[in-house]
Amino acid sequence: MEVKQAIPVRLHVMIACLAVAFLLIFAWVLLREETAEWRTTQARFGRLEATVKNPHQRAQAAHVGGLRQIWLEDLGRVDRCTTCHLGIDDPVFDSAPQPFSTHPGAWLTSHPPDRFGCTVCHGGQGQATDYLAAAHQPRAFEPRPMRPLETIEANCGTCHRALDPPDAPRLVEGRRLIVESGCVSCHEIPGFEGVTFAGPALASIGYKVRPEWLRAWLKDPKGYLSQSKMGNFRLSDSDIASLQAFLLSQRAVAPVENPRVDWSKASVDNGRALFGELRCVSCHAVKGRGGTIGPELTSVGDKLRRAGLFDFLKDPHRSQPDTPMLQYRLTDEQVRDLTEFLLETYRTSETPESASAAYQDARAVALGRAVFEKRGCTSCHRLPGIADSGRVGPSLAGIADRDPDQLSYGKNSVRRTAENYIFLKVLRPDSLGEPSTMPTFSFAPAQAAKIAMALAGIRKADLPASYVQKRQTPSPYKPAGRFGELVDRYRCLSCHSVGGYGGDLSTVPFDRIGSQLKHDYIASYLLNPGAVRVSLEARMPVFHMTPDEATMIADYFSGVFLDDDLERYDAGAFTPQEALRGQELYRQLGCVSCHQIGTTGGYVGPELSRTGERLKPGWIAAFLAAPTRYKPGTLQPDYGLSSTDARALTAYLSSLSAGPVRKSGGAR
Amino acid sequence: MMNAHRAAARLRLRLRRGKSAMALCGTVVAMVAMVAMVGCSRPAAPQPGDPLLDAIRAEERGAGHLTYAESQGKALFSHYCSTCHGDEGRGDGQNASNLTPPPPDLTVPKNVSDQALVRKVIAEGSAAIGRSPLSPPWGRSLTRQQIDYLVAYCQSLGRKKS
Repeated sequence: MEVKQAIPVRLHVMIACLAVAFLLIFAWVLLREETAEWRTTQARFGRLEATVKNPHQRAQAAHVGGLRQIWLEDLGRVDRCTTCHLGIDDPVFDSAPQPFSTHPGAWLTSHPPDRFGCTVCHGGQGQATDYLAAAHQPRAFEPRPMRPLETIEANCGTCHRALDPPDAPRLVEGRRLIVESGCVSCHEIPGFEGVTFAGPALASIGYKVRPEWLRAWLKDPKGYLSQSKMGNFRLSDSDIASLQAFLLSQRAVAPVENPRVDWSKASVDNGRALFGELRCVSCHAVKGRGGTIGPELTSVGDKLRRAGLFDFLKDPHRSQPDTPMLQYRLTDEQVRDLTEFLLETYRTSETPESASAAYQDARAVALGRAVFEKRGCTSCHRLPGIADSGRVGPSLAGIADRDPDQLSYGKNSVRRTAENYIFLKVLRPDSLGEPSTMPTFSFAPAQAAKIAMALAGIRKADLPASYVQKRQTPSPYKPAGRFGELVDRYRCLSCHSVGGYGGDLSTVPFDRIGSQLKHDYIASYLLNPGAVRVSLEARMPVFHMTPDEATMIADYFSGVFLDDDLERYDAGAFTPQEALRGQELYRQLGCVSCHQIGTTGGYVGPELSRTGERLKPGWIAAFLAAPTRYKPGTLQPDYGLSSTDARALTAYLSSLSAGPVRKSGGAR
Repeated sequence: MMNAHRAAARLRLRLRRGKSAMALCGTVVAMVAMVAMVGCSRPAAPQPGDPLLDAIRAEERGAGHLTYAESQGKALFSHYCSTCHGDEGRGDGQNASNLTPPPPDLTVPKNVSDQALVRKVIAEGSAAIGRSPLSPPWGRSLTRQQIDYLVAYCQSLGRKKS
């Protein structure tokens, strides 16, 4: 008899249970898919669309349904944000609630989504299809949550690596601070290639400064100069003493003293008048007002030795070959008066100059030299006889990709992100619980934040090269010959630029100056630089140039710095009708609100009374027709003038000469 | 005899119930204690902050609670507009005295309440709305984005006063 093998009841029960569990899981999965966040969101959008759009618009709209994604093949990114952000490119949803509202501004035009997607700019997890997983808010173990608007410009910097985007002022400000503070001296920073920074030459500092000032400076540079570019190195007192001795021993070029200069006859009043006439404040601030190319002079009397200052004003380039300071053509008496004025007027202490002895202590000098080398002073201050140590700080390439959990935050209770680390490091380098040789720059928190934003966009190799916009470093401009000597002596390139190389204080680069300004005007202007722009604070110095030098420069400008497009302009035959029409246009367009002719008009733009003697017609016409092409960010509005109208205005302006009043530009 | 048996069984049952109740009580007490201990061993740490973000927000507060767009507009305003309209938009810029008619006070709400009008004046100049030509058109020099920012900032000036 066959024995039927009985399946144990237990197994029956187990299989039944499993089947039920399987069915339950299956049902749960189905339900979950059907009620997924993005589906309910799309359903809500459908209802919203019905209320916002009329039937015709609805018929035209592409049917929305299912997952939507932007695949950026070359970036290896998939952004599914548009699955929920369904009204992002449709202006009808301008005031719709999130996630349906239209993208504000013109960003989608300048950054088409099919090329850039969403997360390139905003951060977050593009592949996710629900709010939390997309990392709209920061969350644990999420390396790149979405950026809040306040700091979103950091992401602009990843592609706009060096070219400053016009719509990201915080990023631009951060980069400006990086350049200005000399970060590139110690750190290699991608995007800042070609940017250099040099502190003052120290080869003759022993003759230049007072020992007690030097000690205080090394202790805390900001104590003397709140705008100081040098940070506080947090040196110990003994290090300061030896560094002071070492620096005072630097006496390469002795100051030249003229024994015939009678200091008892020095006139502070003469000096003050010269200080105004030479326009020193274009580059140097006094009590916070004035330029920033040179150091602030508010307490310069506490800092400098008389002989050193006299020598420097007489010929700045002898002891400091790389200074942006120009060499005026002054008599020894004038230099004496200026020296006396600066030392007597701008001082806080009454202590007379002391003779320094410390530098003769050879041991202290040797110790100071070691400190100088160890702390990387050579990164900014080159000294003969001391090898360039290169950049002493670490490279910042890919700094934003550093693992936040590997970084030290000290006692700061902060969310662990690379950018918070960078921020704290920039703000207080010694507060991160690890020894740091980076000086404290005493940035305001908002400044440190902007610097950190500029650095937080520096990623390793995130983007293909086609996305990255790089800056072309301007090639140095060093003219030779007599003209080159004059450019060097008067340090034209401290304020003016050629091909992007040079300073940016002046609104007039040299590139096409010969086609902008008339020869005779250039020559006379160099001898007596007047105020063309009445309201400008920074003005061209009065060089005390010789007439020969002025003519030489004017010849060179008019022969070399030309723009053929401007030169070809046919100005031969302006008719009186054209000039009249131009005058009418001048009135119609409201030019008077910014420009003065005679005594009427505003003083935002250049004074125009003698335009005919000053500007070449080709330049006037070209500039009026396309102002931003020649001067980005100019306050000259672009009226969209036709070439006829531009010509008429040119005819009128060219007719202005030897006008009734010309503001003289002499001493202020 | 039976009665005695029943009584003993009832007693045992009650004892057992008591035991389980006690065990239950014990467990609950232990869990509460554990939770309390865990809670105590981790003193309430301050929420980790975002100092970078805080610094930017503090600056925004200092500028009068401007939104992102408004603060962008403010920077543009100080470059392109403030020489005539004044740093605060009160129509008291350094060039204002040269202008007849003088620039309007933008902190008066009605001067900036009409968004389309403000945009038109900025982009096409004051002549475009039939007024004097003294305020020039910026539509060709600035991007649409920049004009959006400027409009937002101008409107915030009126809001502040109201």
